[in-house]
Amino acid sequence: MSSEDHIKETDTEARFEFKKEQKSAFQTEKGLTEETIRLISEDKDEPEWMLERRLRALEQYKAMPMPTDWPGQPDLSEVEIDEIVPYIRPDIETRGGAENWDDLPEEIQDTFDKLGIPEAEKKALSGVGAQYESEIVYQNMQEQWEEKGVIFCDMDKAVQEHEEIVKEHFMTKCVPPSDNKFAALHGAIWSGGSFVYVPEDVTVNMPVQAYFRMNSEGMGQFEHTLIIAEEGSEMHYIEGCSAPKYSAFNLHSGGVEVFVGEDAHVQYSTVQNWSKNTYNLNTKRAIVEENGRMEWISGSMGSKATMLYPSTILKGRGASDNHITIAMAGEGQDIDTGAKVYHNAPETKSTIESKSIAKDGGRTNYRGLVHIADGAENSSTAVECDALMFDNESTSDTMPYMEINESKVDVAHEATVGKIGDEDIFYLQSRGLDDDDAKQMIVSGFIEPITEELPIEYAVELNRLVELEMEGSLG
Amino acid sequence: MSVQVPASISAETVERIAEERDEPEWLLETRLAALEALEDLDLPDVIQTPGNRWTDLESLDFESLVDPLNQADATERSEDTDAVVLPFTEALEEYGDLIEANFGSVLDPQENYLTALSVALFTTGTFVYVPEGVDAEDVTVRAEMNSRSLFSQTLVVTEESSSVTILEGIETGDDVEGERYFSNLVEVAAGENSHVQFGSLQNLDEETYTYALKRGVTDTYATINWIEGNLGSRLTRSDIETDLDGDGSESQIVGAFFGHEDQHFDINARVWHRAENTTADLVTRGVLDDEARSVYEGVQDVGQDAWNTSSYQRENTLMLSDDAEADASPKLIIHNHDTEASHSATVGQVDAEDLFYMESRTIDPITARNMLVEGFFVPVLEEIAVDEFREDLEALVGERLR
Repeated sequence: MSSEDHIKETDTEARFEFKKEQKSAFQTEKGLTEETIRLISEDKDEPEWMLERRLRALEQYKAMPMPTDWPGQPDLSEVEIDEIVPYIRPDIETRGGAENWDDLPEEIQDTFDKLGIPEAEKKALSGVGAQYESEIVYQNMQEQWEEKGVIFCDMDKAVQEHEEIVKEHFMTKCVPPSDNKFAALHGAIWSGGSFVYVPEDVTVNMPVQAYFRMNSEGMGQFEHTLIIAEEGSEMHYIEGCSAPKYSAFNLHSGGVEVFVGEDAHVQYSTVQNWSKNTYNLNTKRAIVEENGRMEWISGSMGSKATMLYPSTILKGRGASDNHITIAMAGEGQDIDTGAKVYHNAPETKSTIESKSIAKDGGRTNYRGLVHIADGAENSSTAVECDALMFDNESTSDTMPYMEINESKVDVAHEATVGKIGDEDIFYLQSRGLDDDDAKQMIVSGFIEPITEELPIEYAVELNRLVELEMEGSLG
Repeated sequence: MSVQVPASISAETVERIAEERDEPEWLLETRLAALEALEDLDLPDVIQTPGNRWTDLESLDFESLVDPLNQADATERSEDTDAVVLPFTEALEEYGDLIEANFGSVLDPQENYLTALSVALFTTGTFVYVPEGVDAEDVTVRAEMNSRSLFSQTLVVTEESSSVTILEGIETGDDVEGERYFSNLVEVAAGENSHVQFGSLQNLDEETYTYALKRGVTDTYATINWIEGNLGSRLTRSDIETDLDGDGSESQIVGAFFGHEDQHFDINARVWHRAENTTADLVTRGVLDDEARSVYEGVQDVGQDAWNTSSYQRENTLMLSDDAEADASPKLIIHNHDTEASHSATVGQVDAEDLFYMESRTIDPITARNMLVEGFFVPVLEEIAVDEFREDLEALVGERLR
């Protein structure tokens, strides 16, 4: 069965909603203390400098207030760090991820089978990493890439095996823990995630994927992803996330740092389908050198509340950025997402396209910042936000911020909000479609400019998720 | 963050202002309540992004700017109109009940620190009242500021099916040493099916800090159109707001600003759609030269019961200098899906091809640029229905370009 068929033939809800027995080899107590952090670091057998960085981040975390004063921001009052279990090491033999799915315990293997990961790996990926709770359990990459010097490994393993390069880049110049409260939290208790290194002039022509699964109730997942693309290299990283729904809240606070070298090109795609009790508070950032190109493609379907604004710092002349964002919020969801771009060099270019859908009392917000520094002449930016609303219980906000310190620029922002056109629905119904199918088709058409940028498997996946969200919910 | 209350202001100061003007008890009480609230009130909200506060109101030194008992202005108000147009204080005698009923109904005196300060201390302003069915002649108010600080309070009340156009010009008269503060609060209560156009042209000297908050509330089928031209002052904080409270009501907010040297403009246009079938159109254009800086926030807020809303917003900034800075945040807050809403914002410079074309027609570069800047304001000027106001604005733009 192909992965596409697999996705089509499996009931999507069943694919994400199943729960496994909560088994672990080691887990910390609830809450966040210096002792917890020492325990995590010890369990991972980390070098001293990493422990120090964790402890410093903990201090910064404690010193920073919870963000509460952003206009219209999601309610985070439920997020009590002392109520979550920050670290759960699943019961597996191999640290740093098995290379063979068969080496994994049956329930973990079954989890990823249901999510369709091994299938996708065979067909369309250069490599796969799979994280279960706090640790990567599977990690593999095709041999041809290894021969070319590409590194794709578990972040914890990278701390041990590629210590110098990690020490230089890990939460130093891209996302320092002082950036925001959740970056500091992440810096203190991060675990798992991927390290990707692409040497000069190597083009990894099939995407590399990481999949993050939370299984336990009341846990926090804090994986860290560090991507370094050297001069002239090219790669596409895809991340998928899901968790079954529990009554207590879960917290996901990932950190992503991307270094795009001169003339390099990195695409980072996310399809986020966290369960609707998950708070998804991430910090993702890329630094782009001369003529480099960064692309962020994000689909946010899941979570109770999301605050995510992937950001790009265009550091070198001629660097460029492209953001594509789809957000969909249903009952009880607050998806506050957008983009940040800093134009710090001449002739830099950015485009941001955002599409959002709010229904059944959900809220979507595009929150974005474009900053053009003095001296970044001949730079241009274009931001386009379109929002679709289904009812007057829902909310659709658009809050862009533009800071322009340079005159030789071309800055444009546009946004529209509207409802589904009655005429469009009427037309489709006159062609024999029922109301639900008509609306679903209009929504698929609305987001198509974005899905067509994704590899086929993910476009299908995203469409399935949208369909699932739409099923039976339309009046 | 609340601000220190200047030492020069006390209950006695306020009582003295009210007494000198022989004001009714209710107004004195409103003033004293505003004064008392000062210590708990914050300055108006200012946009904050990571590491960047868009306007610095905190550093305004009210201690030295505010001189409550020495306020002076020279204000001319047109007389040949069938609307009632009176200095605020004089109007209290004859229209006391009407003023009491409407004062603060649109704009809460205790909205923020600056409004409370203004209500506690105002000594000038205008009352405009248009009775039912009256289609009034244009009203002009020309004010000169002649003191270190001046607080002005204007109230406009239009009854059913009346209409009026009010044009307000504000300039600096006598020279006063040092920095100044001008505060201008305007409330408009537009009755059913009435039509109000309120234009304001601010060209104060560049040692003045200006705070202007103008807010209108529309009844059913009413229209409030605002036109706001800002050229003067060192720092201008201007908020123009309409509450579309009545079904089928409309508002247009048209703004133009032109900054040079180290001027700072914090321009805000906000509209709340609170009823069915309402329409709003926000259009702002600004030009920045030298080290001038502009900050713009536009808000279109559509409430849950605002069925069949149409709401549009455009903001365009033209940068003439490399040292200028333009910040903008056009916001959409939509709670009803039966809405057609859009906004757009651009920042750019004079189009190089246009310049080249004009130069190829033997127009020298400076004249060509000036013509293009004048042309840039045309979409805003076109929205201004009153010739006199449009010509004044054109003249001020022309003056600045020379």
